[in-house]
Amino acid sequence: MFAGRKSLWWLLGPVVLYTAALPLYNRVEPVILGMPFFMSWTLLATLLTPVCIWLAARRDPLWVADQERS
Amino acid sequence: MHTKAVVSVGVLAVFVIGAVVLSLLSLRGRNKRDLAEWSVGGRSLGMVFIFMLMAGETYTSFSYLGAAGWSYEYGMPAFYLVAYLSIGFAAGYLVGPILWNYARQHHLHTITDIVSHRFGSPWLGAGVAVLTTFFLLPYIQLQITGMGVVVSTISYGTIGLGVGYVIAFLVSEAFVLASGLRGSAWVSVLKDVLVVVTLLFVFCYVPVHYFGGFGPMMHRLVTERPQWLALPGHGDESLGMLWFASTGLLNGVVYTIFPTTVAGYLGARNPGVLRRNAMIMPLYQVLLFVPVLLGLAALFVVPGLGDSNLAMFQLIVDSLPAWAVGLVGVAGALSAMVPMAVFMLVIGTMWARSILGAHPRTAPHQKRLAQLVTFVLGLTALVFTFIAPSTLVQLSVLSYQGIAQLLPVVLLSLLWKRMSTVAGACGLACGVVTVVLFAATGHETWHGINSGLVGLALNLAVTGLITWFKPADTPADQLAVDERTTPVTSLSSST
Repeated sequence: MFAGRKSLWWLLGPVVLYTAALPLYNRVEPVILGMPFFMSWTLLATLLTPVCIWLAARRDPLWVADQERS
Repeated sequence: MHTKAVVSVGVLAVFVIGAVVLSLLSLRGRNKRDLAEWSVGGRSLGMVFIFMLMAGETYTSFSYLGAAGWSYEYGMPAFYLVAYLSIGFAAGYLVGPILWNYARQHHLHTITDIVSHRFGSPWLGAGVAVLTTFFLLPYIQLQITGMGVVVSTISYGTIGLGVGYVIAFLVSEAFVLASGLRGSAWVSVLKDVLVVVTLLFVFCYVPVHYFGGFGPMMHRLVTERPQWLALPGHGDESLGMLWFASTGLLNGVVYTIFPTTVAGYLGARNPGVLRRNAMIMPLYQVLLFVPVLLGLAALFVVPGLGDSNLAMFQLIVDSLPAWAVGLVGVAGALSAMVPMAVFMLVIGTMWARSILGAHPRTAPHQKRLAQLVTFVLGLTALVFTFIAPSTLVQLSVLSYQGIAQLLPVVLLSLLWKRMSTVAGACGLACGVVTVVLFAATGHETWHGINSGLVGLALNLAVTGLITWFKPADTPADQLAVDERTTPVTSLSSST
């Protein structure tokens, strides 16, 4: 099931971004692009989540097989 | 009726009727007697429909009313929604295809089917179906209540809450009974388009209308309401960092086995669709920032609301012309009806497969039974909405925490050969008792940690302990198989 799918560790990316990083981003200042820091970090994390999943997929043999099939 | 109300209600009526017609159109050329066709769309939905359906499921009336309400009341804790959905999509990249392959191989329709097959125990499957119904019924009622609130608000108060409830019930039943998951996917397309368009519009309009722009609005928030802008937010100390992290993580993983999510997974044409879907779904969640921001904006525009769930709609009714209010209302109403329809369909299918239709004599009538349960269930939720509006809503905090206790039997068991029926059942019982006790004593957290996670930890400990003492030897046929050893074929006639 998991053999040869080491890149799946990237799926933990959102967990790190939203939960483990909380002590770092749970603050109002600095304000970035008008948004308080908590909100701008959450937005960044939401935009980075697909990137993490893509990094996981890119080297996943199952994803590669999907691409070859289509 | 006031002219404004006529316009907004007219827009609502046209679109709602359109939604029902659309769902009926989805049936053309389909086998109308097959349960799999109804319950999982014949396992034939492609990328676009799966995206629309699953995005639609994540965007319920809670996102419209609750997210804005939470943000109005507490502030940043509302973002737990975004956190858990993102984590859930990442986990879904892995879990979705595992469940899809397992269900496809053994012709299964729901999580209760999966449990019955894995443990070779129809009784455990039936028990899980009853538990799941108990945990999901409040969700259905929440959607009915949400729809009532939306209809009543956008009609400028001319339509009562009760009428709104009945409309929600009738319309959802109408399209789900006839057209099943496929119809819900089609209506989701209409719903998602409306949701995106109206939210983007409102997002651009409201800050300019009230604050002279997005920048000035944020500036006022940062200077005047900083308490709302970091955890634990305003007013509730229990919504701190531990709560946020544990809820995000727990709900994220639970999202992947949530019965309605699984219905979406199983509707896919092949597992590749699910993997690609996992990648784009998080982007859709950026839209959830809109209700959160509008909830904060409402702090200045309509302060002191008795019912914080109205935060966003009050802003909209207050600032937009009637036709636009109608359109936002349609998006809100469909956001109640589509998820509600899928919830009812999933529970109907569970009962038909694992309880009523489990006997060989009733098995040929599974689709009829599923539709019957779907109807009775909706009716039950409607009756509860009228006679005991708060009872079920109080139970709804249990929904995610309760479903979380199914993680070992539904998912872990497929990968864990040694897990026995007794171990799974005892763990489940411990977990459920734990979360029910927490809820009954009015606690949602334990030292700041989500009580569902506490229950799950006990659940896993019990399951592990019993398995350690008395391991089972599950036949390979009842375990998940590696997709690479079973070639994926796009679905042909068999389901």
